[in-house]
Amino acid sequence: MCYYSLQKQSMLDLSNINGIMKRLAPLFFLGLAIIGLVIILTSCDGGNDSALNPQTGTGGSMARFAITGNTLYIVSKQSLEVYNISDGASPVKALTKNIGLGIETIFPFKDNLFIGASDGMYIFDNAKPTDPVQISKFTHIQSCDPVVVQGKYAYVTLRSGVVCRAGNTLSSLDVIDITDPSKPFLINTQAMDSPYGLSASGNRLFVCEGDKGFRIMDISNPAVPIYKSYFHDLPSYDVISRGKHLIITGKKGLFQYEYDDADNLELLSKIPVL
Amino acid sequence: MGILTMLAMKKSPLLLLGLFVLVSCLPENNENVIGVKFDGTGYKPIYASADEIAKIEFTAAKPLTEPGKIYVSDPYLFINEMGKGIHIINNADPKNPENLSFISITGNYDMAAKDKWLYADNLSNLLVFDISDPKTPKLVKTIANAIPVNNYPPYQNIYFECVESKKGLVIGWEKVTMSEKPRCYR
Repeated sequence: MCYYSLQKQSMLDLSNINGIMKRLAPLFFLGLAIIGLVIILTSCDGGNDSALNPQTGTGGSMARFAITGNTLYIVSKQSLEVYNISDGASPVKALTKNIGLGIETIFPFKDNLFIGASDGMYIFDNAKPTDPVQISKFTHIQSCDPVVVQGKYAYVTLRSGVVCRAGNTLSSLDVIDITDPSKPFLINTQAMDSPYGLSASGNRLFVCEGDKGFRIMDISNPAVPIYKSYFHDLPSYDVISRGKHLIITGKKGLFQYEYDDADNLELLSKIPVL
Repeated sequence: MGILTMLAMKKSPLLLLGLFVLVSCLPENNENVIGVKFDGTGYKPIYASADEIAKIEFTAAKPLTEPGKIYVSDPYLFINEMGKGIHIINNADPKNPENLSFISITGNYDMAAKDKWLYADNLSNLLVFDISDPKTPKLVKTIANAIPVNNYPPYQNIYFECVESKKGLVIGWEKVTMSEKPRCYR
């Protein structure tokens, strides 16, 4: 009961913030216009296009923080917080979007933001980066669910368990067709053990299975992931894959691998947990 | 039930809501209020003062103990130490990653980086670090109350001791044995 009353209170607070943001919006856009003008005016100085292609990093699918261009997105449990980081040292709040409950992760892909929540996946259009607009929601059963996107498909892992949902329901890997991001639909689902982070690279999909290990799926047919191999001695929580390079964290530490077409993992290095 | 619901709908949506709340609270038995039986354990808030939370420390490289999320911004790799801070690794050669330094941040689970700026959560605060020299990062900005946080544990179907704000801010939760069922549940 306490939980619900708290929830209500925080929602009220957020609606206040929304009200304030609305009043500040014209000022903000004026500021944005000035910043834009400054960028255009200064972009020719160095003769490079770093303003267009900044050195922006990459997070894993478990991330609550994401950067695209000059925008920093943060998902809290119930909202999307948007910051303008044109001045990197001094983020300026652009807006707060109250989304729903149980927001877990954010994954930017092209002009969309994919937001994993405990009851579904939200898709936002962020063509206007500081004013993302929700265009759809794919609803699923209660669970924990990071998401990654490659091409026309979103891969979502649903983890059951005490932390995420009650009962003995199965964990799964779902494939959602997002050819039309306003109409996502499920095209494939299969059982997983206890999936946490996941990452797609070319024709491989990597799934962290927590204490159970690390799983490799073949997504040569991106709509139908096929089980390839399972490394039970590699507990894993979050993964980033780039080309043939894997960076994995888990209970035993940080592991980096290179893999080949036969899915052999060659250990590059590890930083063990001590 | 059907007639009652229709009546309630005519009267007011609030009444309907009230009805739902009443129905949803009907105990299945005396022990089992919402669906999960109290098993003698629950979550207890760990409190800290605002000053303690704001204390950010920069130290030499530390070994990993409970690594969480990772973030890559070439040539650096950032590894979250769950609830504790960020390890900065020089990963220019993945065969020989070099652990450079550690930033101690209470309640930290997430980070993102662009150019020389590293962004990190510190409970509800958003921090900005200058990592031009990743061996000696500098805190350049703290934005208070940037990230709404919840006053309940990050778990479901569990009992927990309700948060009392006068005791401080909640920096974490510990599972403890409890002689009686706490008032809060989620």
